[in-house]
Amino acid sequence: MDTSTPVQVNESGVRVSFKGFRILLLVIAALAGAGSCGSTAGRDNPGTILIHLGAEPGHLNPITSNEAVASAINEHIYESLLDRDYDSLKIVPQLADSWTISADGLTYVFRLKQGVLWSDGVELTADDIVYSYNVIKDPKTACAPLKVYYIDVESVRRLDRYTVEFRYSRQYFRALEICGTIPIVPRHIFDDGTDFNAHPGGRHPVGTGPYIFEKWDTGKRITLARNPRFRDRAPEIDRIVYKIVQEPNVALQMLKKGELDLVSLRPIQWVRQTNSEKFDRGFYKLEYYTPNYSYIGWNARREPFNDRRVRRALTHMVNREGILEKLNFGLGKIVSGTAYINSRAYDASIKPWPYDPARARELLKEAGWSDTDNDGILDKDGKKFSFKIAISSASKFAERLSTILKEDLMKNGIEMDILRFEWAVFVQKLDARDFDAVTLGWSLGFEEDPYQLWHSSQITQGSNHCGFSNPEADALIERFRVEYDEEARIRMLHRLHAILHEEQPYTFLFCNPNLVTVSRRFDGVRVHPKGLNLHEWKVRKTHE
Amino acid sequence: MSKYLLKRLLLILPTFLGISLITYSMVRLAPGDYTSLRAGMQGELKTTAAAKQAMEEERRLYGLDKPIITGYFEWLGRMVVLDFGTSRKDGRPVSARIAESLPITLALNIISMVLVYIISIPAGIVSALKKDSLYDRVSSVALFVLYSLPSFWVGLLLLMVLSGGEFLNLFPLGGIVSDGAADYPWYRYLGDVTWHLVLPVVTLTYGGFAFLARYMRANLLEVISQQYIVTARAKGLGRSRVVFIHAFRNSLVPLVTLMASILPGLLGGSVIVESIFSIPGMGLLAFEAILSRDIPVIMAIASISAMLTLMGILVADIMYSVVDPRIRLEAKA
Repeated sequence: MDTSTPVQVNESGVRVSFKGFRILLLVIAALAGAGSCGSTAGRDNPGTILIHLGAEPGHLNPITSNEAVASAINEHIYESLLDRDYDSLKIVPQLADSWTISADGLTYVFRLKQGVLWSDGVELTADDIVYSYNVIKDPKTACAPLKVYYIDVESVRRLDRYTVEFRYSRQYFRALEICGTIPIVPRHIFDDGTDFNAHPGGRHPVGTGPYIFEKWDTGKRITLARNPRFRDRAPEIDRIVYKIVQEPNVALQMLKKGELDLVSLRPIQWVRQTNSEKFDRGFYKLEYYTPNYSYIGWNARREPFNDRRVRRALTHMVNREGILEKLNFGLGKIVSGTAYINSRAYDASIKPWPYDPARARELLKEAGWSDTDNDGILDKDGKKFSFKIAISSASKFAERLSTILKEDLMKNGIEMDILRFEWAVFVQKLDARDFDAVTLGWSLGFEEDPYQLWHSSQITQGSNHCGFSNPEADALIERFRVEYDEEARIRMLHRLHAILHEEQPYTFLFCNPNLVTVSRRFDGVRVHPKGLNLHEWKVRKTHE
Repeated sequence: MSKYLLKRLLLILPTFLGISLITYSMVRLAPGDYTSLRAGMQGELKTTAAAKQAMEEERRLYGLDKPIITGYFEWLGRMVVLDFGTSRKDGRPVSARIAESLPITLALNIISMVLVYIISIPAGIVSALKKDSLYDRVSSVALFVLYSLPSFWVGLLLLMVLSGGEFLNLFPLGGIVSDGAADYPWYRYLGDVTWHLVLPVVTLTYGGFAFLARYMRANLLEVISQQYIVTARAKGLGRSRVVFIHAFRNSLVPLVTLMASILPGLLGGSVIVESIFSIPGMGLLAFEAILSRDIPVIMAIASISAMLTLMGILVADIMYSVVDPRIRLEAKA
């Protein structure tokens, strides 16, 4: 379920680990949002919701797992100290009652709600949080993707049974979010001297959330039931059943047959296979956005992409309207920068560069590229304008995008070859910076830190694989990270947006919508800025 | 015979070691390992010293810091006592994961292989006997058409047409049993499973007819033109006796070669069929393991298949002497 995943992961502070996974999802677009298992009868009980899962998680341990599918399920089982409000996207209390931040921004003290019970009846205390932190820090725990966020957390101490103190080693504007969204596991279950990575609790989660884990039929389905011990208002849906179905077309058929209630759709399914009146009578179709975008990245270390005029010329040659229409049936928004398009951090006054091959030719001429030998290919100093784009072989989107691009560029005198790699090889090429151009996508948090993608310190090994380097941007990003005033941060992001627009390290493509369809058996289904909230849905009484 | 058998059995050992060593080295040398794949595009893990150390520690947990040869012998040491280790993905024993996936794959493969054999062999025989007749031509065209249809397309089409809500609704949309089937009496349970297996079995078999039928036809034609068949006919033996007693048995020799691939073939699932029909079988298990570099799972499946292939070849060689007494194993050894 694509819908709530980004949200959940944000909350648990594993933003970029989700980021990593989201790319996988985008790249392996064919696999995204598919999955369920065969059943003949629909459901045993109208209070059960059947949700499609395109891939099966290995386990549901919120510390060692960084799979998006696991996070999507865990958001109903596990909680953390803080949460993000569905509408305002502001940080709100979850397991914490209140919190204080020291004047230097280094010490965070959380006061826990009292009487919160794990679903097995044991009370949650500060010890569980300290234990979870220690497990994350333990070299024997296989959670490197999560560990990296807690490197700057110096210590976590229990002050009393319901109070816990986090100490940060340096100032960082996201410190509250990172401390407050630490995954919390029950100490009384995991702390039994066995190997944490293979602990059976990973496949039988016990949490404090509105649902409890009930059953796991490997390869088929995972069932959650309402948590009778949940301290807050209980959700109306009795059971959540995740059915594993690999093939998206089959999942849609199951939905139509009533064997699934919630399925994420691909654009072609949205446009072509779910537009009948009959479908409309049975199902809601929800199109909504969460922070993400796709792009074509130009390796600025290499000729000719080390010249920003060339990068801009290429952007002018990419017919984004046409591609969006052709590949995504117009579903999506063209973006001009890195911030989330529906947030204030995105400067809407900066319009994407238009499709304009003539302007592109001019820019290329300025940069010294022209067809001197009349062979139809531009050249400069005796070298042809010829490069290779690297794509992941599993991504249908990248395959089709690069095919269109190849043709369009050829018409403008640029030769492009397509190199397809298995995901593991692709990542290695990217890490080795061994590519001319590349197409990928990022999934972002609601509160973005541009450091990973755009700071020049990340050029050699980090996520700044295209080698974007700009002294003004560097200084801006460094100040950004210690700026606690949101308005000031937004101004900085707008400035960064403008710089990126001029420099064009990427040709920014699209923010892709989540396309979800839900059975009309449920009432109260609505889209929040954060996504869908299952816990507020009601079962329609008249149905069945 | 027993001397030959012993020799062959002893030879299996070094061959197996060679295969598993090469497999292990290939997995280890392939780009990316489990830890780095999990990190994926997470740039943070690749920059600071502390993050790199966390990655190194995680690699050490899985023994990925050791040289290939050390890693291989450690794996072999555990394998000898049938300990295949734990899967990286879910931390469960590999043997448990295989035990979950194997029965359904076995069932599907046995049913479809039996079907392929009982349909294609008679079809091939009839084609050979009625060579160049209308039946021969039509059936070979039909078989080749079937052979060339991609199974992902056929599988999906079958599901859409026969089990979707829009056309016919005769079969379930994938899976292997109904939700509440665990409480059914055994005969109803069996019926339920069979009902679920119809479409996957069709998808698995239709492409296999062409190869075997044409193979059978060619073999039989070759045998029929032999002099001893002509002699038999000249002696006045009935047509059916000549075909079924004299020719048929002799035309089976090349089919025995195919037997070698049956044993390992039973184990391997089809990624395409399993993903279309939502069947958690061996194909998906192996495919996912390879993509995520889940070494214990890859090695377990590879070594079981290697073992079965070696056994299959041995069985086929023994079968030769059964169907054709002229082949003597001692001489070969």
